[in-house]
Amino acid sequence: MAFLEVKDLKVHFPIKGGIFGRTVDYVKAVDGVSFEIEKGKTYGLVGESGSGKTTTGRAIIGLNHITAGKIVFEGKDITDPRKTKQDFRKNVQMIFQDPYSSLNAKKRVLDIVAEPLRNFEKMSKAEERKRVQELLELVGLSPESIVKYPHQFSGGQRQRIGIARAIALKPQLIIADEPVSALDVSVQAQVLNFMREIQKELGLTYLFISHDLGVIRHMCDQIGIMYRGRFVEEGTTEDIFQSPQHIYTKRLVAAIPDIDPTKREVHMQFRQKVKEEYEQSYHDYFDNQGLAYSLQPVSSTHYVALPEKG
Amino acid sequence: MEKNVAVLEETEQTEESKSPTGFSIFWREIVRDKLALISLIFLVLISAFVYGISLFMNQEDIVTVDLFSIHQPPSSDFWLGTDYGGRDVFGQLIIGTRNSLSIGILVTLMSGAIGILFGLIAGYFGGTVDNIMMRILDFFMVLPFLMIVIVFVAIVPKYSIISFSLIMTLFLWMGIARLIRSKALQERELDYIQASKTMGSSNFKIMMTQMLPNLSSIIIVNMTLNLAANIGIESGLSFLGFGFPEDTPSLGTLLSYATNPQTLEFRWWIWVPPAILILVLMLAVRNVGEALKRATDARQRRG
Amino acid sequence: MNGMWKFTVRRILIMIPQVVLLSILVFIMAKMMPGDALSGLMDPNLDPATLEELREKLGLNDPWYTQYIHWIGDLFHGDMGESFRYKMPVSELIGQRMVNTFWLSLVTLILIYLISVPLGIISGRYNDSLLDQAITGYTYIGFATPLFIFALVLLWIFGFQFGWFPTGGSVTPGSTPGTLDYISSKLYHLLLPAISMALIGTVGTVQYLRNEIIDTKQKDFILTARAKGASESRVYNRHVLRNSLLPIAAFFGYEITGLISGTVFVESIYTYPGMGQLFLESITTRDYSVATALTLLFGIAAILGTLISDIILSLVDPRIRIK
Repeated sequence: MAFLEVKDLKVHFPIKGGIFGRTVDYVKAVDGVSFEIEKGKTYGLVGESGSGKTTTGRAIIGLNHITAGKIVFEGKDITDPRKTKQDFRKNVQMIFQDPYSSLNAKKRVLDIVAEPLRNFEKMSKAEERKRVQELLELVGLSPESIVKYPHQFSGGQRQRIGIARAIALKPQLIIADEPVSALDVSVQAQVLNFMREIQKELGLTYLFISHDLGVIRHMCDQIGIMYRGRFVEEGTTEDIFQSPQHIYTKRLVAAIPDIDPTKREVHMQFRQKVKEEYEQSYHDYFDNQGLAYSLQPVSSTHYVALPEKG
Repeated sequence: MEKNVAVLEETEQTEESKSPTGFSIFWREIVRDKLALISLIFLVLISAFVYGISLFMNQEDIVTVDLFSIHQPPSSDFWLGTDYGGRDVFGQLIIGTRNSLSIGILVTLMSGAIGILFGLIAGYFGGTVDNIMMRILDFFMVLPFLMIVIVFVAIVPKYSIISFSLIMTLFLWMGIARLIRSKALQERELDYIQASKTMGSSNFKIMMTQMLPNLSSIIIVNMTLNLAANIGIESGLSFLGFGFPEDTPSLGTLLSYATNPQTLEFRWWIWVPPAILILVLMLAVRNVGEALKRATDARQRRG
Repeated sequence: MNGMWKFTVRRILIMIPQVVLLSILVFIMAKMMPGDALSGLMDPNLDPATLEELREKLGLNDPWYTQYIHWIGDLFHGDMGESFRYKMPVSELIGQRMVNTFWLSLVTLILIYLISVPLGIISGRYNDSLLDQAITGYTYIGFATPLFIFALVLLWIFGFQFGWFPTGGSVTPGSTPGTLDYISSKLYHLLLPAISMALIGTVGTVQYLRNEIIDTKQKDFILTARAKGASESRVYNRHVLRNSLLPIAAFFGYEITGLISGTVFVESIYTYPGMGQLFLESITTRDYSVATALTLLFGIAAILGTLISDIILSLVDPRIRIK
């Protein structure tokens, strides 16, 4: 049994229209996505903006209404947030993309980090304070920070506050939605490495959402590539980066910049070749609506969206 | 872990911890704006004066009819003369100002509380809840406020100051509700609200402890401007005879004496002072409110 | 055009429950008022049994919803009950007063546009000039001045001190209806009340127009027109004003709400026999059938006014529709 299991998840947003504001159509943000995450591993969701990767993450934690499908966490169905027991939900937490808007500007760091503690643990003021200081130290901030306001910190520091808040309840699964894309490149690596360290230390499982393949490669054990609400390919990091099968994945991987300047020419030609292939074989990989087919196994770990044979 | 701590040890920060948009910005803006500063000083002085001096005045005495001193011109005994019941106009002016200010503040706070709660709920939940609530609000907006209030005042049994302020409140919460709702609609999309949800905070708690503090400055601005309007509305209703009960003078009550053509034409000392007071009070409160409004809008800030 | 129709139909659909709710509210208020249709009309010496019989016959003992349906049915036939004070049907009484209030409101509206449009244009076009500062000063004071104080002051100065205007009534007593004298006397009587309402009512529009013009002045298409060498007055007449004046034309429906409360104050101050004065009078004399009917009429007028303005505005400015 998998640690987290997402089965045929669909999130459709209604489009209202007409005189009475009836629903006339749907935006299929997530349209039949299934995957499993193993305990202690990092699963990466990749895709361009609008591919539904963020919606998937938010649906799992209960921020978006799930149209259809099932989410099973440690054998328990947590699909409907209203029916899920509160103290069970504390096992899943989230790190947000924007370290500015995700921290309430009117609150001190103490109140920000203590918010989940106050909801779930019965602590005295002194215990709470001590716990928050420990958490801040764990994420590399000084314990004196508790009386400060978010605007007194840099972006990287703010993201650490966000992480401290997310791990306050000792969750098992953390959904990290583009946790570093709003940060300076120089700070990104620090935060990423730090996330890996606490993963080991606390035995965390990550669902890591990003558009940046470099970051994903660095962080993840398994990867799912999304395009227009569906998976186009899924596999281990090795599967995806060493032998991408789907034309869309190939193009994404080819687009990763090469640091070695001597190979620049070779890389350019390669990219050009992939682009041509993409244009020629587009219709072999996408149906007539431009959507991906359902996944077919290539190996025991590697799945690709291809039309069914025969 | 050690090395990370070293790298990210916070830069030396000696500044005091302050909320980013605290009252200091409000205060700075008022000091920059001379008119607002004068208005604020005036308001503080006049409130101190009328609340202070009315402690030493006997309202019973002032509103008791004295048939031997009807319609006297100003004198050393009656600084602003007496009215048709021989009552001291100056005394009524002091108590009237106090009453008008008090009810203005009371109605502003009560309608503010209702409006904020209504707007927060509509904006926070959005969707169908918002739709239904906004239709209710639209209905209240389109009611002929003045007439409905007058009818209510006329039919409420055991009419008192409390029932008067409740009636006013019932029809004055819509403006702030609309404002808060539109701000809450924007605010609810922000990640800090989403984050609170994932951390198990209840909707009510998120509204009250997360969203509300972020709307505090516009609430203060709006309530200040409402106070000015409410002072005007109360005096208007009292002027028509549908405000304060008979035995409780307000600025509007004094002005209503001017509906007697004799008083209007020949006894200006009865109605001109309250008229000026209402005007100056409303202007002063507005001046302060406008300065606060500029402070919340960084583009218009003066300092 | 499709969008416009959708908006219009939806807007009308929103209005219907508003009118129904208003009628229920007014009905409840009518029921809460002390006494009923009989207590004012009947001979106090009538014995209780006969009174009870009459009540039964008039349906006053029916459940409230039956009474409400009856009441609505009567309203549709133009029957708004009887005024016990004037001993005549309410509809007739209101009909007499409505003419006066209608003319007063119409003249006020005309004055509002006559004053606000030029002031707003001058203020916006020559912003920060001395003239603009004077106009801004006027709107600043006007915004904070309650109408009733302003009306009192005008009456005191121009009615009593200078004696330029009549201080009460709607026409000189004794003049024959239909003559030129009669009409000019009517106009003379409503001029000062209308001016006082207009001078206060115009403030919002002046400010709106000023801001609109200053905003439009900065827009690219105006700068382009100017760069192409169009004369200043051409730029204003063809581009700036067209964008700013149309919405203002649609505002008149919103003004109705303000006019209603305005007439209550002004008619009482100038003892002008209109609906507003009748309303106050009917409340103080406990002639409640009149008060109820007037509240309902004013409410419907306000609802219709907002409806008309919303629809016209959506025609002029499609941004309004996205809501």
